[in-house]
Amino acid sequence: MSTSKSIQLILARQLASCIATPILLVDDQNALVYYNEPAEAIIHQRFDETGEMTAAEWTARFAAVDDDRNPIPPDDRPMMRALAESCPVSQKLWLRSSNGEWRHVQITAFPLIGEKGQLFGAMSIFWAI
Amino acid sequence: MKCTLWGTRGSLATPGPETARYGGNTSCVGVRGQDGAVLVLDAGTGIRGLGKTIDASVRRVDILLTHLHMDHIQGLGFFAPLYRRDVEIHIWGPVSSKVSLRERLMRYLSPPLFPVSLRELPCAITLHEVPCGDVDIGEFRVSSALVCHPGPTVGYRITGAQGSVMTYLPDHEPALGALKFPSLPRAWTSGGSLAASADLLIHDSQFTADEYPSHVGWGHSSLKDTLAFAALADVKHLVPFHHDPGHTDDDIDRLMNEAIAEAKPAYRVSPGREGATFQV
Repeated sequence: MSTSKSIQLILARQLASCIATPILLVDDQNALVYYNEPAEAIIHQRFDETGEMTAAEWTARFAAVDDDRNPIPPDDRPMMRALAESCPVSQKLWLRSSNGEWRHVQITAFPLIGEKGQLFGAMSIFWAI
Repeated sequence: MKCTLWGTRGSLATPGPETARYGGNTSCVGVRGQDGAVLVLDAGTGIRGLGKTIDASVRRVDILLTHLHMDHIQGLGFFAPLYRRDVEIHIWGPVSSKVSLRERLMRYLSPPLFPVSLRELPCAITLHEVPCGDVDIGEFRVSSALVCHPGPTVGYRITGAQGSVMTYLPDHEPALGALKFPSLPRAWTSGGSLAASADLLIHDSQFTADEYPSHVGWGHSSLKDTLAFAALADVKHLVPFHHDPGHTDDDIDRLMNEAIAEAKPAYRVSPGREGATFQV
């Protein structure tokens, strides 16, 4: 997964690394290619330790359930839907961090679409509620 | 391939005795293949001199624009082959989501900014929007990718028939937003894949390290960051380019010597000088 990144992903990562809002960034294959320090605090995992993760890896590591504690299938998670549907998606859910603790979070994911309509990935901002 | 620098100045043409050695014309580089293919990288004021060297036997010229800032297109209307009926001119330039390349070029090549309209030119013009994957032009394979600079801007990687590579990134700020540069691997650095292991890298070096902090976001690099980028990309030969119009020849001599002494690059460095030629 260390192939060269598009300028859209590079700039999105630069932005994420400079702000205090927790941010996750996935590429067009749903691989988690970056999360910033504020996100690390919520998911209890350092990006330097995990590096990039495939969709299967990160959705398994950070399980998600709805308010009724029903598991949310990977394809129904905001980031996946933002990519699949090419539109912003907002959702409240419970996210299991690396230490096993469940955190109630609000997530808004949006696709990164290039000049010719090419999909480069998606970004999600989220915070504990 | 043979690369010739026809314009090395950034932002504004700067003629005069204080800039005579490195040159005052804005960005333009000519690339000639062994098969006679002619590539023109950007159409700054340096393109006028290049145009005079294209003889009557040439039937096709490809102009590769990195972006449409004025210093990169101002010479276009003075490129002699545009006024020949027997020449195909292919202009490659960055795509925009709202306005076509033709429409954006016509903003300049039309009255009142220029007396001749794009559609009135006698040559056969074809426009191509990039990035569009790898393209073969004569013996060259040309790759392009968007890079960090305000507005749609691309860099070009040109591979010659023998596999040699030259990369052209005249306006580029890969250090934008980085607290320390470089701090990420090449794959996560703007322009990194275009410049990877290039035999020749022509790269923006507009500012000094002291000038850069007050120009962050303007889309240009400090010479210090350019040297670091070239090391990250593992190039063999760097040509710092797009000199600031406020830097005299003596300034450039001093700044290059200081930066090279500090960085101690493992590759060759030749400050971009108008008229210089490189066999790649």
